[in-house]
Amino acid sequence: MILKINQYLHRTSDAASLAVFRVFFGLMMLFGMVRFWSKGWIYSTYVEPKFHFKYFGFEWIKSPGEYTYILFIICIVCALCVTLGFKYKFNMALFFLSFTYIELIDKTTYLNHYYFISILSFILIFIPANAKFSLDNYIEKKQYDEVPTWTIDSLKLLLIIVYFCAGLAKINSDWLLKAMPLKIWLPSKYDLPIIGETILQYNWVHYVMSWGGMLYDLLIPFLLLYKKTRLFGFLLVIFFHLFTAVLFPIGMFPYVMIVSTIIFFEAQTHKKIIKLLKRVVYPLAKNSTYNNTTVSNFKYKNKYLILGIFMVFFIIQLILPFRYMLYPSELFWTEEGYRFSWRVMLVEKIGYTNFKVKNLKSGKSFYVRNGHFLTDLQIKQMSFQPDMILEYAHYLGDHFESQGHKDIAIFAESYVALNGRSSQEFINSKIDLLSTEESFKHKYWIKPFKDEIKGF
Amino acid sequence: MLKKILLLNFIFLLFIGCSSDESSGNSQSNSVWEQKTEMLTNWADNFIIPGYQELYSKLLELQVAKNDFISETSQQNLDIIRSKWLEAYILWQKVEMFNIGPAEQSFYNNKMNIYPTNSTKIELNVQSGNYDLEDASNFSSQGFPCLDYLLHGIQSTDSSIISLYNENENYKNYLSNITNQLVSNTLYIKEQWVTYRSSFVNSTENTATSSANKMTNDFIYYYEKGFRSNKFGIPGGVFSNNPFPEKVEAYYNQNISKLLANEAFDAIKNFFSGNGGYSLEDFIDNYATGDQTNLSSEIKSQFYAVDDMIAELDQNFHNQIQEDLIKFLSTYDAIQQGTILLKTDMLSILQIATDYIDADGD
Repeated sequence: MILKINQYLHRTSDAASLAVFRVFFGLMMLFGMVRFWSKGWIYSTYVEPKFHFKYFGFEWIKSPGEYTYILFIICIVCALCVTLGFKYKFNMALFFLSFTYIELIDKTTYLNHYYFISILSFILIFIPANAKFSLDNYIEKKQYDEVPTWTIDSLKLLLIIVYFCAGLAKINSDWLLKAMPLKIWLPSKYDLPIIGETILQYNWVHYVMSWGGMLYDLLIPFLLLYKKTRLFGFLLVIFFHLFTAVLFPIGMFPYVMIVSTIIFFEAQTHKKIIKLLKRVVYPLAKNSTYNNTTVSNFKYKNKYLILGIFMVFFIIQLILPFRYMLYPSELFWTEEGYRFSWRVMLVEKIGYTNFKVKNLKSGKSFYVRNGHFLTDLQIKQMSFQPDMILEYAHYLGDHFESQGHKDIAIFAESYVALNGRSSQEFINSKIDLLSTEESFKHKYWIKPFKDEIKGF
Repeated sequence: MLKKILLLNFIFLLFIGCSSDESSGNSQSNSVWEQKTEMLTNWADNFIIPGYQELYSKLLELQVAKNDFISETSQQNLDIIRSKWLEAYILWQKVEMFNIGPAEQSFYNNKMNIYPTNSTKIELNVQSGNYDLEDASNFSSQGFPCLDYLLHGIQSTDSSIISLYNENENYKNYLSNITNQLVSNTLYIKEQWVTYRSSFVNSTENTATSSANKMTNDFIYYYEKGFRSNKFGIPGGVFSNNPFPEKVEAYYNQNISKLLANEAFDAIKNFFSGNGGYSLEDFIDNYATGDQTNLSSEIKSQFYAVDDMIAELDQNFHNQIQEDLIKFLSTYDAIQQGTILLKTDMLSILQIATDYIDADGD
């Protein structure tokens, strides 16, 4: 057994796979960040709000306000350097730090897609993606033909985990037996040409899409891993993700996934891609004397440290999506353990939450105008996520206390509609939220869900 | 083998899909485009355009009454201009929710009905004769609430009001300008809608800026802010430690607060049901599935409950607040229940697109 593992760890593959992955990843990141900027979202998300929802353990992260633009510039420059393979390790690490910092500023903007990029860029720091076809080769006059196979497999494993968890998450009674939330989302896309007024409106299509989506997520890793089904699987990947891109406003996610899937192809394919890319790049580079010393294998200096990091990383990735099981009550309702578990486009949830500030001595109370404190997006996200409700309540408490109000209690009157059900009371409006703190314990002040959803 | 499994799955799905058609409301004889166009056409032709038309005609009458009052400042003319003002204010209640297109870009609502009115600023304007009504700083010193003050509030008795007008030309000037402004503002809207109508009616895509989505959002916004907060919440002290009875609509005239609230609520109910034509109620009925098939009836029941509660209130909300605040606040609560249904249940079904940022369906 140990012998087999050791054999596996010594196997090598062509570095072309990593090179292609690096170039496309870098370009996607470059494009993604610029797109975010061009839509004015830096301002509306990081500069405009007076208050940001913090991640547990990362309360010290503050929005750089106007300087957020600089942070984005750093990120963009790093993405460019990564694409070119220039001082790769340093820039990849800096990209990871700057991107993750940006995402940690406000829970409001949490997207599984951004989480994916963060963790992917983390392991990419330790992967020799600049072994071939990079500026570093040119500068250091060294290039590597082969890299340890496990570096390439790590990327595949990450993708497999994402798909598998996403597929598993779709095995629930709302998704499969009620075709929710697709039953609400698809008909609303009536303005799409051809399919909008026809296919998307039919009941059976909602079910086909729900089951199809679940099966796709669970089966695609197998289709991609086996050579015979690989091309078919890839075509399915393109179709699936393009379809979701047309249907839903999910930004770069589909494209990042399509492009990442190329890693599953064998070395030959990657070499061909590099040839194509070279035709684009080389005319731009002057007739350079490309004097390299070619070393055949990339070897890690501190291999076991890196392997250790990867092992811990993947163990975390396998456990994290299932932590919701430690909590009672319905996951879709309480959202305890919902983030970081690849539950993508799974649930339709709208909330309406108002806060009452009460002076315990005088008995007088007033309702807060959320618009005075939060942006529209923040209000929308806060309204149905209990941890954000709690954090906001505390923020309001601090705010009013600093204004001279004493002995106050804050109550949340909250209603949430989940997956087509009628709105229900979400938070126990009799419990003073200021008397409870954020923790990993179950939030007893969330009202019980008046229905049942079976499955994962 | 895989193919067999997939085929079996497909047949299974077909079976589930075709047999569990609990959503009987899903029989769309018309396509969604057609439904939305019908809805927008109904809104434009039966609510918005006639609404502005009627308001404009009434404001012209008000203008005539104003001219008469200025040339002959008598008790009789004071009574006439007051009643014209009230008739116009009642018609205003029907159009306040249409903060879209020409109204939105010209800040029409702000110029017509910001209350409480800023009596200090009004007095300053009157004396200085120097003011720009287009400037945002003067939004709270013009419009219907300003006229309310000018016709009922500048003095405590009718005779002293008349005397003041006779003594001080400045008041007449201001009264005249404010009234003329109401007329010209509304004329602009009315004229713009002649051309705006077709882009309004044809904008049926499911985007954040399409008229169908914007108007639905405006309706909800009006329900929550214009109706619930402005007429009930703020005066009732919902958002403050103490009530502010002086912040009711038409504070200086006072006896008409309930009348105006009823008119506004009738407008809300009619708009929701479409007054015989296609509107939100029909749209919900066509789209609701599962739990939500009764949503439109639930919303209407809540509306009836609000009606009943308003009926029990004093004509004069200022007095109501001071005599029995709890009753007033219970009415607020009933309205609030409606807000929940509109902002969570209804929005969930209608899937109105927003464009804040990328989404994860999270």
